[in-house]
Amino acid sequence: MRNFIAFIRHFRVILLFALLQGIALTWYTTFVQFPRSQYLTTASSIQGSVLSVRNSLTKHFSLSENNKILQAENILLHKTLPHSFIKLENGLTKINDTLHRLQYEYTPAVVINSTYSKANNYITINTGSKQGIKRGMGVFSSEGIVGVIHNVSPHFSVIKSCLTEKLNTAIMLEETGQDGFLAWNGPDARTGLMTGVSNDSKIKEKARIVTRGGAGIFPRGLPVGIVDKYEVIEGESLWNITFKFAVDFRSLQNVYIIKNLLLDEQKKIEALTEGNE
Amino acid sequence: MNDILKYSLRFIAVILAQALVLNQIELGQGVQLMIYPLFIFLLPVDTSIIYLLIIAFFLGFGIDIFSNTYGLHTSSLLIFTMLRPTFLRLFSSRDGYDSMLETNIFNMGNFWFIRTFGSLLFMHHLWFFMLEEFKFNDIGYILIKTILSLPLSFLICILVQYLFVNKPSSK
Repeated sequence: MRNFIAFIRHFRVILLFALLQGIALTWYTTFVQFPRSQYLTTASSIQGSVLSVRNSLTKHFSLSENNKILQAENILLHKTLPHSFIKLENGLTKINDTLHRLQYEYTPAVVINSTYSKANNYITINTGSKQGIKRGMGVFSSEGIVGVIHNVSPHFSVIKSCLTEKLNTAIMLEETGQDGFLAWNGPDARTGLMTGVSNDSKIKEKARIVTRGGAGIFPRGLPVGIVDKYEVIEGESLWNITFKFAVDFRSLQNVYIIKNLLLDEQKKIEALTEGNE
Repeated sequence: MNDILKYSLRFIAVILAQALVLNQIELGQGVQLMIYPLFIFLLPVDTSIIYLLIIAFFLGFGIDIFSNTYGLHTSSLLIFTMLRPTFLRLFSSRDGYDSMLETNIFNMGNFWFIRTFGSLLFMHHLWFFMLEEFKFNDIGYILIKTILSLPLSFLICILVQYLFVNKPSSK
């Protein structure tokens, strides 16, 4: 026993260092993939409020650009309103539409903190579980998809943005329907990668890439980006497609969170099918 | 001023400066500016390494929860702290250090500061970007990030000393 205590005394610095380093590394390796609590991130209310104050000071820096984006979206929405249409035929009555049902609801949110040049980038927004946000919901802006909710607290959430190594969102080429996965491994916040497209298919330059839907996180057809370059991966029959993101992550201010009203139903029936196999 | 009060205020100021100012400056190419190692470096020379490690842990922790880096800053700051006594011994002058003097750029001279703090900061940055990338086949990319970030971080650390550290009055 005395030897043991002497051992600890002798190596106490190294032991303490190993212990603290162990805590830090465990925290790093577990949280980057699966966050379990909100308290050690910017989703926590203390850090969230500090960042809110900062955002209230700095949000005006990119105001004019964001106004333009919102204005463009408003025009788009105005076009779909009844007052923009001319009545062609009098006497028609509108009945309740039973063929279409609302599947997706959108909650607006404001970005209060974001990064775009780190190896894994996260975005903090000012909307949380009190507004019905849950982990795994998709996030997009008026320009295209942004990411997936990673961590939620009552008033704030952290988004895992498209600029992370593994978002694993299914995307496809709009024209041909070739599907693949979204990836990112570069320092450049403007370009992303599309993986898993087999190279027997033809790809057009400047082809639009959109979300595939399917997993129930994003609706089908949200813009992701435009094909920039493509080359064959050596030794594999796959294209390595580089594309330009539709969203400019460097000046992101207003985002929308997607709530899929039919997600539970989809999950239930998928679980049922897996159980039967 | 009371030393404990001085260092506590510095501690908070460093966390806020890192989280609210430097984390927001994104220069592209994965460059990150880091100032907090300076806080550990400027602690008194005769502080026990045990205390240093504990302080470093909480400082890194505070910065990590603000920047969603989940322990990345903590781990690299612990490396920095662990190596500090070794490098101080390596570059010490013949009669050692005056425990009353802070090891800032004015007291120790430009050359000593660049050599000692520079090499420590290099180890810190290298470890930080290695852990951030987490794969060794990207070693070139890790080195680019380190080499681009290091001079900028270093410059900011020197600038901060010129702005906020009291110059010794000429005797």
